[in-house]
Amino acid sequence: MGKLTNFKRSLWVFHASGGSCNACDIEIVAVLTPRYDAERFGIKLVGSPRHADVLLVTGAIPRDFADKLRRIYEQMPDPKAVVVIGNCGTTGGVFYDSYNIAGPIDEVIPVDVYVPGCPPRPEAIIDGIVKAWLKIEKLEKELEGKEK
Amino acid sequence: MSFTLTTPSGFWNPILWLVFLALFSIIAYLIYSRGNPSYKKDTEQIKPYLSGNPEPTKEKVQVKAGDIYWGFIEALKGYYKVLQAIHTGDMRDYILWYLGIGAIITFILIGGV
Repeated sequence: MGKLTNFKRSLWVFHASGGSCNACDIEIVAVLTPRYDAERFGIKLVGSPRHADVLLVTGAIPRDFADKLRRIYEQMPDPKAVVVIGNCGTTGGVFYDSYNIAGPIDEVIPVDVYVPGCPPRPEAIIDGIVKAWLKIEKLEKELEGKEK
Repeated sequence: MSFTLTTPSGFWNPILWLVFLALFSIIAYLIYSRGNPSYKKDTEQIKPYLSGNPEPTKEKVQVKAGDIYWGFIEALKGYYKVLQAIHTGDMRDYILWYLGIGAIITFILIGGV
């Protein structure tokens, strides 16, 4: 795994839950609670995508939620990364090909990191966030290059 | 020539004031220049976050003056329905009403019902 060198600020995460059974969401909460305590690294959940660097998405994404998810993604500032948590978001899971499902998530918005599992363990979620962090560093370097 | 105005509660000096204005402008510019340069105008990035819902027009979210009386008008809507129907905004209509009601009152008073 690469070293974090460029992105010298806390990583803020926005969580969008689209049709999730809540299991993935509970594991995300577990990442923040004292056992893992991701906030000590500055990784924290924020209440608005306009403040966020990473979009954490759970659930198979019902059709009614697809346009809202697109809007949330577009509201995030660049550079940004999308992390999908759980099987439903990754592949559609047991809801694959259902009439009312617009997902998997990569059919709605571009995805950078997949964390499969039903639900994935908190360690896997933290690993996914670190991968997203590396991706954002790469994007930020590209953005800096464009500015110069 | 002194630029300082001394008062019992302190002093005011335009030169000093301009120096502070310049200083704060520099600080404001420094904060502004550290902002996110990849910010995109005329996209969803400038719109408020409403749980992913589209932003309604200003007219739809604005609280109108009439909204203040909503409860009052709702409670007396039977009365207001009639009143609003005859409220045409045409002055000639109101004069006709005035003359008509005046005639009835006159008839009652003089006619001796």
